[in-house]
Amino acid sequence: MAWLLLATVFLPLFPLSMVLNATLGRFSHPLARCMLLLLWPQIGVLAIHLAGTTIPSAFLPWALLSAGLYALRLLTVSDLGVYAGFLASSSLALTWGLAISGADVAGLSFFAFCFSFPAALLTLLVGPLSKRFGAAYAGVCSGLGSALPRLSSVLVLTILAGIATAPFPTFFAQLTLLSKMNWSGALAVLAIWLIWGFGAARLLRGFVFGKPSATSAVDIGRSAVWALAISFGIFTLASLYLAGGAA
Amino acid sequence: MAHLTLLLIALPLLSAILIVLLADSLQKRIARLSVVFSFITLILAVFSLVVNSSAQHFDWLSLGMAWGSSPLDPLGSVMATLVSAISLIVHVYSTRYMAEDPGYARFFALLDLMAASILLMVMAGDLITLLVGWHLVGVLLYFLLGHDLQRPAAERYAFWTFFTYRLGDLPLILAAILLYQAYGTWSLPALFEHIGNTPDTQTLFGLPLAATVGFLIAFAAFARSAQFPLHGWLPYTMEGPTPVSVLMHAGIVNAGGFLINRFAPVFIHASAALHLIFAVGLVTAILGSALMLTQNDIKKALGYSTMGQMGFMLVECGVGAFSLAIYHLIAHGVFKGTLFLGSGSMIGSARKHDGLPHDDVYTFVVERKPVGSRQPWILAAAITVVVPFLILGLSHWLVDGDFVIKQGAIILLFFGWVTGAQLLFLTYRLRSDNPWRLMALIIVSLTIVVAGYTLMEHAFELLLYPDQSMSAQIFAAASIPVATFEVLVTIITIAGVAGWLLMFYSNSNHSKVGKGASVTRLALYSLISREFYVSDMYAWLTQALLALSQRLNVWLRWL
Repeated sequence: MAWLLLATVFLPLFPLSMVLNATLGRFSHPLARCMLLLLWPQIGVLAIHLAGTTIPSAFLPWALLSAGLYALRLLTVSDLGVYAGFLASSSLALTWGLAISGADVAGLSFFAFCFSFPAALLTLLVGPLSKRFGAAYAGVCSGLGSALPRLSSVLVLTILAGIATAPFPTFFAQLTLLSKMNWSGALAVLAIWLIWGFGAARLLRGFVFGKPSATSAVDIGRSAVWALAISFGIFTLASLYLAGGAA
Repeated sequence: MAHLTLLLIALPLLSAILIVLLADSLQKRIARLSVVFSFITLILAVFSLVVNSSAQHFDWLSLGMAWGSSPLDPLGSVMATLVSAISLIVHVYSTRYMAEDPGYARFFALLDLMAASILLMVMAGDLITLLVGWHLVGVLLYFLLGHDLQRPAAERYAFWTFFTYRLGDLPLILAAILLYQAYGTWSLPALFEHIGNTPDTQTLFGLPLAATVGFLIAFAAFARSAQFPLHGWLPYTMEGPTPVSVLMHAGIVNAGGFLINRFAPVFIHASAALHLIFAVGLVTAILGSALMLTQNDIKKALGYSTMGQMGFMLVECGVGAFSLAIYHLIAHGVFKGTLFLGSGSMIGSARKHDGLPHDDVYTFVVERKPVGSRQPWILAAAITVVVPFLILGLSHWLVDGDFVIKQGAIILLFFGWVTGAQLLFLTYRLRSDNPWRLMALIIVSLTIVVAGYTLMEHAFELLLYPDQSMSAQIFAAASIPVATFEVLVTIITIAGVAGWLLMFYSNSNHSKVGKGASVTRLALYSLISREFYVSDMYAWLTQALLALSQRLNVWLRWL
């Protein structure tokens, strides 16, 4: 049980999820935040594996409530760094649903990676935005779509990947989770999915749309865009293959 | 043939990738590349339609995995041809319409991605591929509608559309999950076979699986096809560029009718879902038409007209005339696309001169003012009631003698009769040098339209549902007890005829009747002009949700 309780910190369940968000706030360097978000859930998966016991069913409503709470809180978040932390808190909590259905450690690890990857990339984007605008804040960095099309494209793709949009791996991970849940759990996950979309659109409104707040800012380099596109491409193709083979 | 399907989807996708890669070097010429790809896609789609409509057995594309399959059936081919044709027209139109737009390349890339997604959706042979296509259409539409990044209204209504579409995604995903959990496969033909073999399979709460899935599919179709009360986004999508309006009103919004057709084997065992579809479609058709009449903006009026047409399309599905719904969506797509593409020119010319035809037709139909002379009204009323009935009945009887014994067919005939009779009533009210000649011309036109419509509907029935027993099963599933049906038809007929008589009486005694009902009329008008307060209710819910979110974040100190 001790391992399971430890896992609730790393596959964050409220209120222990506040540890993840507080830790993210402590790190100022985007790369450190990125690495933290990639490694953090994997420790949780390892803890579940080491627990070696059947997870009590009470964890499912706890996980769903926790995911729902953070999804709801996402609606009014404007800071991209905080948004990444909340999105990770909401999505990674769903890993418990898969764990309760009896998924193996590889499946859990892949699910957690699918959701932590876009959140980690979002923390990386905080760097270039803060450098150009002083903060990565929706409304402050408005009109990116017109002023900095490359940066805004990367931001849009990452956010879409984070909220489980097809054909990103998160979409197939979500489908896998849903296929293993009962109807009430599936309904809750779908409601959370809907709220993610709402929150993402509100965030994009503050970043991508509107009049540019800084017309003289320089866009990110093509190489950065290519690097991200290739990593997303490989990730998506691998996920498509795995979804096709596993289902 | 299997590779053809792959090409159909791959070509627009390839075009989008090339646009992204070559946008800087080709500049505005990038549009030509996109048009060429769209043209080739249309050629392939037409070829696929010709081959598939004459084939005895459907070919099957499969990537050997759980997703990525296509049945290459007539339904997919018909829809692919429609989508490719509308896509090509929109591409050609956009080359000049969007020429001054700073996001020219982005617009064409999004158009191509949208075409690829819709093609993926209509040609999907498994639930995963269908879900991916269905989901992507909503996401891409958000970016196309919000293409003008600096226009707050465009983004606001793009978001509204996006959210409604996401809402509509949920029941479809839930239906897919229920089917997968019950039968362990994502393949649509395999699922339909399972449902056919074991129609009594139960799902959550012991409910029948087929009926539950039928309701979920219906809900997904309601959101996608702007059915009441999920219609609010449709008229406001005019804030997007005109080519996107065309693509949406002529193509995307029809997806509800397509989805119901794709799941036709499920609806054979889901009578209650068909009845719900009929009821919701009917309410939407009536409200859409009422809302259209109160608009003073041509594009918004067209938007509500689309809502009404979508209602009619679902009514057709609800009575079991699935193939007619497909014909309806194609016909509607073509004429609505033409209207949208011409709306800009109309507005332009209206700014130069009002262009109003100051004759009796305009005075009566648009200004709603009675005209002077008229024919003996009882004789005219008899003609207007009897003639459409005879034309409709005879044309259907000539094509298919058994048609008129089906309940769904009777409902459709009823609609046709009401529409035809209304047209003749209007004509009767016009003043003309030779009213009988005018009436004769109208009757001939009506005969040609009805006969053409009947023949096309029959041809679509044979093309899409060559298995006559399946078609009969769908009609049977849509039927209701005979006594209930007859009572309903009687009530609706009395209501319709009474309405006509009241209108006639009201117009004949305009000054006497108009004053007494003014308060009721004003209340009704304000209700309609506020669009039944549906948007206000959604706005209130949104504000409440955001306030809760804000409060939670403050309480929990953003951790």
